[in-house]
Amino acid sequence: MADFPLLSLLLLTPPLGAALIWLWPRPAAARGIALAAALLTCVLALAVVTAFDASAPGFQLVEKYPWIPSLGIHYLVGVDGISLLFLPATGLLFVGVILASWTGVHTLARLYYSLLLLLATATLGIFCALDTVLFFLYWECTLVPLYFLVSLWGIGPNRRHAAMKYTLVMLVGGVPLLFGFVILAFGAMGNGGTLVFDLPTLLATPLPSDTQILLFLLLLVGFGVKVPLFPLHTWLPLLAMEGPAAVAAIVTGLKLGAYGLIRFAVPLAPTAAQELHWLLAALGTASLLFGAAAAMAQTNLRRMLGYASLSHVGLVVLGIASYNLPGLQGAVLQLLNFSVASAGLFLLTGCLHHRTGSTDSVKLGGVARSMPLLSSFFLLYGLAGLGLPGTAGFPAELLILVSAFEDHKGAGLAALLGTILAAAYFLDLYRRAFLGPITQASVQQATDLRPREFWPALVFALLLIGFGFWPTPLLDLIRPAAEAWLGQLG
Amino acid sequence: MSTHLAHVPAALSEILWQQQAGWPVLAGLQLLPLLGAALVLALGERAGAVTLGRIVALAELGLALLLYRHIDAATPALQLAERIDWLGYHAAADGVTALFVLLAALLVVLMTLYGLVRGLAHPGRLMGLILLAEAAVMSMLATTNLLWFALASVVELAVAAYLIGHWSTSTEDNRQLAVTRFLQFQGVGLALLAGGMLILAWGHADVTGRWSFDLFDLVKAPAQGKFQSAAFFLLFYGLAVRTPLFPLHGWLPNVAHRGTVAIAPALLLGVKVGIYGMLRFMLPLTQEAVAVWQPFIVGFAMVGVFYAALLAFFQTNLRRLLSFAVVSHTSLIVIGLFSLHPLGVAGAVLLSVNFGLAATVMLFMVGFVFRRTHTTDLVRLGGLFERIPFIAACFLTGGLAIAGMPGTPGFDAAHLVLEAAMERFGALPTVATALGNVTAAGFLLYAFQKAFLAPAAASENAPPLERTLPMEYLVGGVAVAVLLAAGFFFESWLVLIEPATQAMAARFGAE
Repeated sequence: MADFPLLSLLLLTPPLGAALIWLWPRPAAARGIALAAALLTCVLALAVVTAFDASAPGFQLVEKYPWIPSLGIHYLVGVDGISLLFLPATGLLFVGVILASWTGVHTLARLYYSLLLLLATATLGIFCALDTVLFFLYWECTLVPLYFLVSLWGIGPNRRHAAMKYTLVMLVGGVPLLFGFVILAFGAMGNGGTLVFDLPTLLATPLPSDTQILLFLLLLVGFGVKVPLFPLHTWLPLLAMEGPAAVAAIVTGLKLGAYGLIRFAVPLAPTAAQELHWLLAALGTASLLFGAAAAMAQTNLRRMLGYASLSHVGLVVLGIASYNLPGLQGAVLQLLNFSVASAGLFLLTGCLHHRTGSTDSVKLGGVARSMPLLSSFFLLYGLAGLGLPGTAGFPAELLILVSAFEDHKGAGLAALLGTILAAAYFLDLYRRAFLGPITQASVQQATDLRPREFWPALVFALLLIGFGFWPTPLLDLIRPAAEAWLGQLG
Repeated sequence: MSTHLAHVPAALSEILWQQQAGWPVLAGLQLLPLLGAALVLALGERAGAVTLGRIVALAELGLALLLYRHIDAATPALQLAERIDWLGYHAAADGVTALFVLLAALLVVLMTLYGLVRGLAHPGRLMGLILLAEAAVMSMLATTNLLWFALASVVELAVAAYLIGHWSTSTEDNRQLAVTRFLQFQGVGLALLAGGMLILAWGHADVTGRWSFDLFDLVKAPAQGKFQSAAFFLLFYGLAVRTPLFPLHGWLPNVAHRGTVAIAPALLLGVKVGIYGMLRFMLPLTQEAVAVWQPFIVGFAMVGVFYAALLAFFQTNLRRLLSFAVVSHTSLIVIGLFSLHPLGVAGAVLLSVNFGLAATVMLFMVGFVFRRTHTTDLVRLGGLFERIPFIAACFLTGGLAIAGMPGTPGFDAAHLVLEAAMERFGALPTVATALGNVTAAGFLLYAFQKAFLAPAAASENAPPLERTLPMEYLVGGVAVAVLLAAGFFFESWLVLIEPATQAMAARFGAE
């Protein structure tokens, strides 16, 4: 069992599904094949979790094959406690996304579902890759499907502009990232004169501290664009408004940038990360407060959720910046929480848009009367995002706040203020859009969640509540890797 | 680093073909397309001419694969050498040659298929001319004699000029303009090349009393001092016109816009003989001058990356836009070459092959679009994606390869160039260059969006566009498959060229 290439199998499943979509004679079967592939991915991801030894801190299920040996580049994948749980979360998210698109995609359905599956592979690859070049490959490979998904199936009139902006911003962000990796490769160059790209070796050979500062700043910009961190966030509200709900759910649900900070930026430049902890904390706090303030000013649910996502991830970055066990555990837990709560919220706005043609509170009102199920789930996910006790957001947010108070008192106070603001903007807009009398005919005539929408929503809800009451198994899985991560910081 | 160079460069070594193969492969590579061209041209437009041409092109690809098999990638020596002294004929190949030959043969096969799909006039004559150009290109790649290189270059350029003149898509005036600009620029380029060549040969005659244009002779008695600098600049700018490199690119937008859509540009841009010539002749023959003038050339190339990228943004015609993309990315190749670093030189070679293939894919797809729309004006295109998604996807893949997307050979090669640039020129200019590359990605994406995704320009009663044809699937599919496979199995190409590029970098003091 130990030698079985489980991770490679996991990474191969979605692209094989994508290929099958094209080989299958009936185009109408595309969504079914995509769903089957996503479900299989989920099962495999759970198999990875089962095969994982929770007591060991290092990378497990490692597979290493030479890819470009003369440059020291390998196909190297593996997981540790930090990345492990993102695999089932990704699988689940894509199942939800495919179900949410079930009847909404009419044009080029084959292309749509195969792009979603390719995006799933690239995302899973980001979590598994332990070679910086392989990581970069998956990282940039998310852009192609996202570009097409937004520009062809976006729901806003400016979708092509949004797709273009997103892709270009990410490509520019890729430049410092690539340079960071090149600096690392040269810095760890052994006596044999070969470049080094594999993460375990890079972790074992720290750079001199002045190079570390440069490296940390490069990686911070590179990942900060994707997180996004204020002031690099301008693509996010645009994408939330113009892109299809599925893409908004994926981009805000899986905060790859924050993962990149945890996996690469901090441990590879430990001295610099500690020296510049104030910068990380300040950027986190600024994103948190700016996102919350901007979210208060919105009338459109999707734009509000976009800014809320900025605010939430600011809190995660603050948790990372405290460099202690509760902070990191809380950050990882919060990221997992978002992959369900934030993605769920966007998928529900997709349902809402599909039915009423709008997600602007001006054109809504009284949604709870005609669509009670949708409204209840929306409220539940929103409260989980706020960190209401009883949801998975609560332990995560508590851990982050506690650790922030330990390390950055001012930032901790700001974070506390941020959570209050979050309640204000979410509940206020919820009241305007969902409660009150029905004013629009489109809302009156809309039907509530259909079974195919209800069941995934229920699974999301049960996960949020279940891990809200019982977060210990997750925290236990994260702990050894988190302790090793802190050990790297010294 | 340039101050400690030895004054007499290391001699070159070669292995004769008798020791490696049963027959002279390189001669076969040059003669097969030449004979094919003669036969096809003799047949004219009779039945069978086109088929014969296609068979010859395929056989040539087979020969190219054979060459690849015969090349021993473990040694930097020039191999399969052939000499006929009284003709001055001297051909030899290394891993770099093999890679370029493979690319050239593949491009010609695709071109023969493409020409048929497009339904161009006089297919027989077109086929013959393509094969003639192929013979010339193979000769340029195989020869180690500067005079042969220049003469083959004349043949290739003459064919290209004829193609532009006779298969152009524009009106008589514009066609004349395109041909005239092309001949003016290339004529100057050839004159410069000839000047550089003569200085080198004269220097050799001065020392040894014997005239020779052969690389092996010239490298033993290089021109000295000012003469070497003069020879360097003449050779560099002579080849730069061909490549084309900023600021000598003036002919390209005209030819691309007003000439043939794909065949002539693919011939001229697909196989970057200019870069190959720099590597084969200029670097070893004017070694000291190269080291002295390196910052100047690199500075110009860095400006070129941005200048062309900027101009590309202002283009309203897809063909013009592509030609500026070519100028921009060629500058990146030159930066790699002039880093004089083992990684950079290898990166430059792989980048030129990648760009050649990627640019050809894009040109062919533009040709397929033109067949349907009869325009490449971005304002009048749009909405193509729904009708011809495959062609759109191939176009985009080519664009992404040029932009250096991971998964294409463009990424690995650009990566090597940037690594070398960082070692040699420091982080800041390198980051600037990389941003220039992102700019390239920006305008290619912009063009893609305008042409394929944006809503179709309002034209009532226009018949719906024809769907993708099987032959178009074949051309696009093969090209993209090769591109992606080359990106994935990058190692084999690197191994193939590394001894040669390392030996080249070693001449400049790199370890």
